[in-house]
Amino acid sequence: MTFEQLIFYILAAIAVISSLMMISVNNPVKAALWLVLAFIATAGVWITAQAEFLGIVLILVYAGAVMVLFLFVVMMLDINLVKLKEGFIRYLPIGVLAALGIFALMYMVLGPNNFGMDVTGEPVRFDANHSNTTMIGLALYTVHVYAFILAAVLLLVGIVAAIALTIRRRPPHEVKYQNIDKQVKTQARDRFEMIKMQPVKEKPVENKKEEDE
Amino acid sequence: MFNALQGWLSIFLWDWLAILMTLVLQVVIVVLPIMIAVAFLTLAERKVIGFMQVRMGPNRVGPNGILQPFADALKLIMKEFVRPQQSNLYLFIIAPVLALAPVVAAWAVIPFGEGAVVSDINVGVMYVLAVSSIVVYGVIIAGWASNSKYAFLGALRASAQKVSYEIAMGFALVTVLMVAGSMNLTEIVHGQQGGFWNWYWIPLLPMLAVYFISGLAETNRTPFDVVEGEAEIVAGFHVEYSSMGFGVFMLAEYAMMVLISFMTAIMFLGGWYSPFENIPVLDPLTAWIPGFIWLFLKVAFLLFLFLWFRATFPRYRYDQLMRLGWKVLIPLTIVWVFVVGVMHYFSIGPWFN
Amino acid sequence: MVALSDYLIFSAILFTLSMAGIFLNRKNVIILLMSIELMLLAVNTNLVAFSYFLNDISGQIFVFFILTVAAAEAAIGLAIIVLVFRNRKSINVDDLGSLKG
Repeated sequence: MTFEQLIFYILAAIAVISSLMMISVNNPVKAALWLVLAFIATAGVWITAQAEFLGIVLILVYAGAVMVLFLFVVMMLDINLVKLKEGFIRYLPIGVLAALGIFALMYMVLGPNNFGMDVTGEPVRFDANHSNTTMIGLALYTVHVYAFILAAVLLLVGIVAAIALTIRRRPPHEVKYQNIDKQVKTQARDRFEMIKMQPVKEKPVENKKEEDE
Repeated sequence: MFNALQGWLSIFLWDWLAILMTLVLQVVIVVLPIMIAVAFLTLAERKVIGFMQVRMGPNRVGPNGILQPFADALKLIMKEFVRPQQSNLYLFIIAPVLALAPVVAAWAVIPFGEGAVVSDINVGVMYVLAVSSIVVYGVIIAGWASNSKYAFLGALRASAQKVSYEIAMGFALVTVLMVAGSMNLTEIVHGQQGGFWNWYWIPLLPMLAVYFISGLAETNRTPFDVVEGEAEIVAGFHVEYSSMGFGVFMLAEYAMMVLISFMTAIMFLGGWYSPFENIPVLDPLTAWIPGFIWLFLKVAFLLFLFLWFRATFPRYRYDQLMRLGWKVLIPLTIVWVFVVGVMHYFSIGPWFN
Repeated sequence: MVALSDYLIFSAILFTLSMAGIFLNRKNVIILLMSIELMLLAVNTNLVAFSYFLNDISGQIFVFFILTVAAAEAAIGLAIIVLVFRNRKSINVDDLGSLKG
């Protein structure tokens, strides 16, 4: 076994075990954490397949941002865990059966008979100076440039939609909003006003003594 | 040198074991000095803040308090590790590890000098960004597993803050990539050769500020330390941690500070190049100083800034902090991406050619 | 050297596991969403592996776009879940059948 194979099998085993844990633990927070582990291990697998840029993007985007979002939502929601888990045992046999059946079908197609090393041949190995990022960049900004712009628009729509869906403007008597621009622009003359007025002579208190007595 | 060692080892060991042993040796050579630097950074912090507040700082353990970090570490190790009864055992224990491990892993691509880097990969900048984005999990898990309201609130604040400022940080790095034309950290330093006016801090001055401010927020330092705002939520996400669990969180925070300082020095302040390059009199006079000394001097200055800010600024309020990140820093970085594009198009200055 | 079939079987296992996850956790919307993410990851692994063995960068471009779409999908999906929870105080799939005829 070469070093590369060792790394691949370790990472693949971690990914498979953690995805197995993800679907079977009963707490969604733990499920999300297992999924993070699966993502990180799979990123390692991608890097063994010379997709360094995508492997790191997977960690950056998925583990670093999307799963944090998941964890946020899961931790903030007050969920009845028992109720959500009911039916797990009931559907276990059919779930396992369907999964095994589909895996058997897939194995027949994807197994070593059709895609083994002697069938596909050895992949091209690039040397250390080969830049995967440059390759992706060249393809992305020339051939696929319209798709790239569309993806950017899609992300913008995603941002707008997510904010528009969840924003909750509470009326000003419940929450005080701060208008920072206004605060910054404030000057002394806005706060302090000189008023010309006649001097007022206060009347001496007369009833005071009577009350004391 | 390490290739020779690996070849020698593989004569009488398995191939993979030889590779593994060489890697472990390299890792130890990098990580050990960093841990020592982190230990003395805590001492430096107390000394610097002490002098800024006109007092002596620690001066009891060893000459001038030089052994104080070891005393602190010893104390933390000797204490009992208390685990809250309702906490989640495995996650509670794994959280400090998850906070420290990514920070240490990021050092794999940091070059300390010409060729002095564990792994000289092409996507170095992305790697550092990706690995430091994993640090959030240590914080979230610590807050959630402690099963305490204060820890949980602190974890939510910390993770929201880190994720938000990571965007500004990433965009600041994008401008550096645009100027350098490479994501390899060694290449980025090579692009800044030839005197301090060739460093990237001049065309990217606002980005230097953005990166450093985001770094302050990433490491939860003042003025962005609402995470552990002791007036509101006691000590934030690590309130339930005692003994070395707490110590590991502190280690992670300070190691992250050192990492951010190194990244700033490498990307904006010319890495290991001397500031006096191509200056008539000073260059020959200072030519004997090796490169890593210059790098360490720059890093030391940036770390001093971290401590200085802590002694100077009051804490931001949480909504103001979020506003700064989303409404000031991110738009600024996006604008500067365009500015750099224009500068690139017209090949301005010594930076774009 | 890792064979192409190894990558493909690895992604097939991930795919079937995520499918089983959808079967088993059919009450919990969040775990359903996470299973879909895992499924996309398995598909992406396939594309990366084929891109590696055919020496064609297009597979990685596909993965890039799938990642983009999946990130947007996750953000909007979670926003909808938050809205649902705000209105119904539950994320159980069975409670979301009020439009059923």
